[in-house]
Amino acid sequence: MRLIKKIMLGLLIILILIQFIQPIRNNGSMISSTDLTKTMHVPENVQSILKIACYDCHSNNTNYPWYSRVQPFGWLLAKHIRNGKTEINFNEFGSYSLRRQISKLSGIAKSIEKETMPLSSYKLLHKNARLSEEDKTLLIGWATRTKDSLSMNH
Amino acid sequence: MLFIAVTMIFTSCGNNSGSSNESITKTNDSSSQSKNSNISETKSSTAISDVVSHYLHLKNALTNDNGNDAASAAKELGSTLTKVDESTLTPEQKKVYDDLKDDIKEHAEHIGANGSNIEHQREHFDLLSKDMIDFVKATGSSTTLYRDFCPMYNNKKGAYWLSETKEIKNPYYGSEMLKCGVVKEEIKPKG
Repeated sequence: MRLIKKIMLGLLIILILIQFIQPIRNNGSMISSTDLTKTMHVPENVQSILKIACYDCHSNNTNYPWYSRVQPFGWLLAKHIRNGKTEINFNEFGSYSLRRQISKLSGIAKSIEKETMPLSSYKLLHKNARLSEEDKTLLIGWATRTKDSLSMNH
Repeated sequence: MLFIAVTMIFTSCGNNSGSSNESITKTNDSSSQSKNSNISETKSSTAISDVVSHYLHLKNALTNDNGNDAASAAKELGSTLTKVDESTLTPEQKKVYDDLKDDIKEHAEHIGANGSNIEHQREHFDLLSKDMIDFVKATGSSTTLYRDFCPMYNNKKGAYWLSETKEIKNPYYGSEMLKCGVVKEEIKPKG
């Protein structure tokens, strides 16, 4: 019994200590000149879906939930954001080569179609990010049309 | 002088009857290509042909449904790409290369990281192949290559790939539909 108590106490102390290790927050400049919406025409309804469901991990500005202050959840979030931004950063979309923009748009359409994005762990806590069938059709349609028009001008 | 013999073969997948062949031969003058054969250019063109051979290795791995082999070929492709000396490229080639390199690198990384998910590797291979076709057209190939087409991939929108053999071996479906596809173009080596 005493051993279990000691272990529990040890875990509690670790849990308290890790709260002091807060990851750097992803809050860059508000809207950069290379943002997707500054680079090409994006319909309002598509913009709002992207901002609600994608920008938290795929831009330089995250709208943080309260639990991001609680570790280890904050670390997990920071890791998702880091990976998300490497995959695609909507704030920097304009700086990608045309070829890469086309690839990214095709990736957006595919990942939404196959429901690999938004991540299910993200959707669990963000009701807004659970895309309806209409939202999906809208996004896929937009990404595909934009991709095709970029490819034609290439 | 670079001669590109374009051979269009109109056949459809799973339909062996009634194939009509039509040959078109195009001649492209590429006098803009540097004829200097200094050491750095030789190195760079070796890197360019290495990029192509790693791509072909990747393609063959996908044909054999071997995701891990595809991953290692893609990693080599990515690291060879950094060895291409841009200063040896003509301005036109450099323009194409600048547009392509980040995209090629990224697709190679994704394929390299998804050894256990061959379907995902093939999605990136589709986009990578588009890049590689333009890459080879800009830099020229040191060996004969075939631009092949699979009409079924991508919800029947189709997808291209490059091959070193005239015989069709489909990298998008592997053993499932190995013979599916047609040769769209024969790319002759430069020189």
